[in-house]
Amino acid sequence: MSRKLGALVLAMGILVGAMAIKTVLTSNSNGTVMMANGPAPWPIPK
Amino acid sequence: MSGPIDLIIWFLGTAFELLFVVCSIARKSFLRYFFLNFYLLLSTTVSIGRFFILSSYGQSSDQYRYFYFYSDALLTLALFVALISLYSHVLGELSAGEYVKWGAVFLLLGTAGFSYVVVAQSTERLATSFAFELSQNLYFVGLVLTYILWGAVLKLRETRTRLVQIILSLGLYFSAYAASYALLNFSGKFSMMRYICPALGCFLPLSWSLTMLRYTEESRLAPAHLVAVPR
Repeated sequence: MSRKLGALVLAMGILVGAMAIKTVLTSNSNGTVMMANGPAPWPIPK
Repeated sequence: MSGPIDLIIWFLGTAFELLFVVCSIARKSFLRYFFLNFYLLLSTTVSIGRFFILSSYGQSSDQYRYFYFYSDALLTLALFVALISLYSHVLGELSAGEYVKWGAVFLLLGTAGFSYVVVAQSTERLATSFAFELSQNLYFVGLVLTYILWGAVLKLRETRTRLVQIILSLGLYFSAYAASYALLNFSGKFSMMRYICPALGCFLPLSWSLTMLRYTEESRLAPAHLVAVPR
């Protein structure tokens, strides 16, 4: 298996895992926005 | 406008971001950890921009909302690149640079493609929904990547103290955000997270700065003592 193909398979595996975690954590989501960078206050949801 | 506690957390976080850059320069490690410095410098610039927009238009304005989400997508991209640079540090001696490079490209393209498919049916502005979705998805990809990197650190018996502590801090940061994300979605109380999440934003630059201050590039973790068990 070439290096590129190996990297592609690994990347897709990681993507699937990440989206699975997101699905589990947001299964009860009410649509509230949450972001992850910096100490600035969130925009107030409408 | 935000309350005094919001502002204190915000100013402290921005000061910690600058502190890391200053420490890197003082310790002559700016170029070695260039992408970490780039991420925190970008975050400082974004913080200043957010402050001016917030003070001009207010926290509930569309201007602040759009600037916040677009700049956040940019910051998440920069954090992704910083994380990939840590992979290069850890796997550098294994000549795995080709794998890391192509893996990062495929992962970024895959996440962008997936995000596009998710928002393609959206009735809102496509660019805004895409920036938000990409940012969130990249964040979860970063979470998984950090745990894999931590596994690699353990497997390869990495002893460089700075590198190990930087990766550990990143793992804690991502994990704490994931926990607060789950808590927010289950409780639905926005006000509860008002201070917690920005405070978490202070944790990463502070812990990286302390690592940079306390340890040199030559610092190594002492291997655990073996316990001799008499037979």
